[in-house]
Amino acid sequence: MDPQPMTQQAQSMSAYAMWVAEMARALAVDDESAFNSALNGFDAVRDTRVLTEVRKVTFDLQQALERFSRDSRLAELAHHQVPDARARLAHVLRLTDDAAHRTMDLIEQCIPLVDEQVRAKLNDVLLAQEYQDLSGQIVRSVMQLIDELEVALQDLLRIAGSQSDAPPARGNAGPAPLAGPAIPGLDNGNALSGQQDVDALLSTLGM
Amino acid sequence: MNFLVVDDFSTMRRIIKNLLNDLGYANVTEADDGNTALPMLKQGNFDFLITDWNMPGMPGLELLKQVRADSRLAKMPVLMLTAEAKREQIVEAAQAGVNGYVIKPFTAAVLKEKIDKILATRPGA
Repeated sequence: MDPQPMTQQAQSMSAYAMWVAEMARALAVDDESAFNSALNGFDAVRDTRVLTEVRKVTFDLQQALERFSRDSRLAELAHHQVPDARARLAHVLRLTDDAAHRTMDLIEQCIPLVDEQVRAKLNDVLLAQEYQDLSGQIVRSVMQLIDELEVALQDLLRIAGSQSDAPPARGNAGPAPLAGPAIPGLDNGNALSGQQDVDALLSTLGM
Repeated sequence: MNFLVVDDFSTMRRIIKNLLNDLGYANVTEADDGNTALPMLKQGNFDFLITDWNMPGMPGLELLKQVRADSRLAKMPVLMLTAEAKREQIVEAAQAGVNGYVIKPFTAAVLKEKIDKILATRPGA
């Protein structure tokens, strides 16, 4: 533990003790003006302690804000990764929506061709597509959370006086994370846009 | 019997529409939230409303209240089909005059049972 605050605390405790003793003395001799001045002395010690604490908190906050504005990782989060996360989730919504509709297209095509028993099963498959609604609602609520996070991060960066109104250069540390499925509207780097492109590339490589 | 199905997820609207068709209800119209649904209800000739709760724009509870507040629509059977499963929400919907409440995920049997029950107890049924 840092010994400095303890010393400070010990100092103010002894000052408190002195003023309390003085108040007791003034009470014993019924000296109102001495009591009041001792009370003022007591308050002054307390005010000094509060001020010291406020200064310390202010200093810590300033340090934290300076560290924050220097930390490009946070600016990177606010400018790139948080908006990316939202775009990725929006894409998940589209993928599951498309897949569920595709499944239902096929079910609707099959239903006239099959007997009653199979039809009942196909209706179960149809109903199972409600996962898209249920998971989609959850994804949307996470997207709302991301919106709030983005606003908060950008506010914090602004308060910290970050010079990075111009977004910082991307990815300066560690290996690049795996990109996963390509997401429309995001910078996919050199991702290919479909199987044909993949086949064409493989062909130029002699496969 | 003309149904209006209100849900912001097209997947869910399509599921409900298919299930209704399978139950023999061929006339099913879709809307994606309360703001779209309300004018359709006021102009159209609907007999039954199935609505989600959590939708952007006008949510299902507000739609229900608007329907109950409109003298021409006030008696319309309304079934809420929603993932909102908190007790106080269900109570709130009941107080607003909902006729049935089905929680997602749901089954075709439950949907049929609730619709049948609402239609059986409807005035003039």
